[in-house]
Amino acid sequence: MNVLIVEDEKSLALEIADFLKSHNFLCDLAFNGMDASEKIAINLYDFVLLDLGLPDYNGLDLIKEAQKNNSEASFIIITARGAIEDKVKGLDLGADDYLAKPFALTELLSRINAVARRKFKITNPDVTLGDFVVQVQSRKLICKGTEVELTKKEYDLLQYLVLNYNKVLTRQQLYEHIWGNMLDDQYDSNFIDVHIKNLRKKLNSHAPTPWLETVRGVGYRISIEEDK
Amino acid sequence: MKLKLKLALFNLLSKLAFAGIFMLLMSFIIQRINLRQIDNDLVNKREQVISLISEIGIEPFITSDSSDAFGSYDILKEEFVSLEKVSLAEDLNQIEVATRLIEGEEIEYRVLNYSFKIDEQTYLLEVGKSLHSIFHAEKNTRNVMLLFLIFIISITFLTDISYNNLLLRPLEAIKNKLKKIPDPALFDKTPVKTTTSDFQRLDSALTELMENINTLFKKEKEITVNISHELLTPVSVLRSKLENLLLRVDLDQDIENKIEESLKTLHRLQTLVNSLLLIARIESHQYLREENFSVREVLQEIIKEINPIAEDAVIILKQEMNDDLLFKGANRSLIFSMLYNVVNNAVKNTPSPGEVLVKCIKSGSSFSVMISDTGKGMTESQKSKLFSRFKMREKNSGDGTGIGLAIAKTIADFHKIEVSVTSAPEKGTNFSFIFPINS
Repeated sequence: MNVLIVEDEKSLALEIADFLKSHNFLCDLAFNGMDASEKIAINLYDFVLLDLGLPDYNGLDLIKEAQKNNSEASFIIITARGAIEDKVKGLDLGADDYLAKPFALTELLSRINAVARRKFKITNPDVTLGDFVVQVQSRKLICKGTEVELTKKEYDLLQYLVLNYNKVLTRQQLYEHIWGNMLDDQYDSNFIDVHIKNLRKKLNSHAPTPWLETVRGVGYRISIEEDK
Repeated sequence: MKLKLKLALFNLLSKLAFAGIFMLLMSFIIQRINLRQIDNDLVNKREQVISLISEIGIEPFITSDSSDAFGSYDILKEEFVSLEKVSLAEDLNQIEVATRLIEGEEIEYRVLNYSFKIDEQTYLLEVGKSLHSIFHAEKNTRNVMLLFLIFIISITFLTDISYNNLLLRPLEAIKNKLKKIPDPALFDKTPVKTTTSDFQRLDSALTELMENINTLFKKEKEITVNISHELLTPVSVLRSKLENLLLRVDLDQDIENKIEESLKTLHRLQTLVNSLLLIARIESHQYLREENFSVREVLQEIIKEINPIAEDAVIILKQEMNDDLLFKGANRSLIFSMLYNVVNNAVKNTPSPGEVLVKCIKSGSSFSVMISDTGKGMTESQKSKLFSRFKMREKNSGDGTGIGLAIAKTIADFHKIEVSVTSAPEKGTNFSFIFPINS
């Protein structure tokens, strides 16, 4: 998929590009509004990651321009301004999602995936984890033919780990994904540990879960062997 | 006491005092004038009698042998004249008040005693005038005067009060302007209508003061917002770099841990900046208050969220929520955040095994949410710092920045919710939120 990253903070743009490339995206960069405007007019993108705080351009205008050009691109706004009106305006203009800086790269990926699922009607394949099968589409976890009852939070945790399989997710990344930024101050590593503990307990009563790993000092990871 | 009341009271008292003194003085003066009038009358009468005697002699009144006294009075006993033979050591010429018995009736008279000699015989002439009619007249005068005074006092009192009211109306208006505002930005800048220069000065000074405060507030908020944005961008860069590093497969455990620690520190910075931003945004009214929702539902949601943590820490999260409030014109996610912060804080600060109780009470016209724990409690000095932004309670125990309660307070203020805390060391802490009941 093609992504245009519109971000005047060069090093941030490069990091995002790095990350997305490692997830098989094709990335293009624009460090200012003029450049972005040209690129959107010429090229076809699936996604535009748009920083609203551009020095030469009102980011929201780019969305309007793209719509005039019948661009198919989905816009995900990333901004440090974070003013509530910006968010509302952006979404009103047809942006698909909104992320406040600083965000976790894994969160960005998860949002892009969510938009892609809606847009391209991708049916996510089921993921097999030992004796368990995660039915991503129907949000169900099946173990040897029976459904495992999970709370919404537990399922969200599991799915986020599955989406980022073979990568360590820090407690903070997991926390932000599940609880968002509203309760920022209450970020508590303990929260995630407790939920993972409960999740493990539930799963282990059905079958062993060697694939759900605790990475000491860092966070959690789901390992899937890539051979299939 | 209100200025208006004070003025009215002073007004009334001074008028009454004046009236009292006036009445005393007037009755004294009238009495004196009346007496002098009578005395003059009596002296005139005496002259008439004396001139009569010198004309016709004493004999028609008193014969030398038969009787010693002569007396005459009119039918209403208003006046009398009496003449008698006496033996006196010295001459008598005086006026006094005396009681005389006339036909078995005791009457008070103003009496002139006058002695004179005819042919070595001393005679005493008494001319008297009844005081009754004079007292009566005096009483009438006094009554009329009293009525008149009462009338005048009431009239002037009423006019004074209404004039005072009129005069003080601008002050009242200024007072109302001050009463209404929770924020200097909302101060009504339209000048109060008045011709009193003092009030004009007061009003304009207040308006100016409010504007100054408001500008300072705005500046402070702007600075907070700008700094926050400036800070968030580099945090964002650092965070992405560190997260990308962490994704590399060739890292050894030690480096992984160090990166994670850096991310944690960075996260603390991010949290702090975001918290300040949140407070600045709430204070500059960037959040809407237009949702209606059940407070009990919010609390139940919070309890559901926190319960796994509480269970893990062997803390019983109890609820007594028989009453509910449909909170109108509020921001649900902010209220959620406020109550969440406090409940979570209670759970965090309660050693296991312990108990946290969430209660909703509706009593009369107030609805309150109470969150009490069996935790460590606080000293008075800790309590006083509870809601301030950076004075953290002891050393930071959890991962929070200690700003959570400051956020809760800001949200409460934004919604006009009263917050109070009672706490004693080793006895636990109790937070109460008193919600305004809006119709």
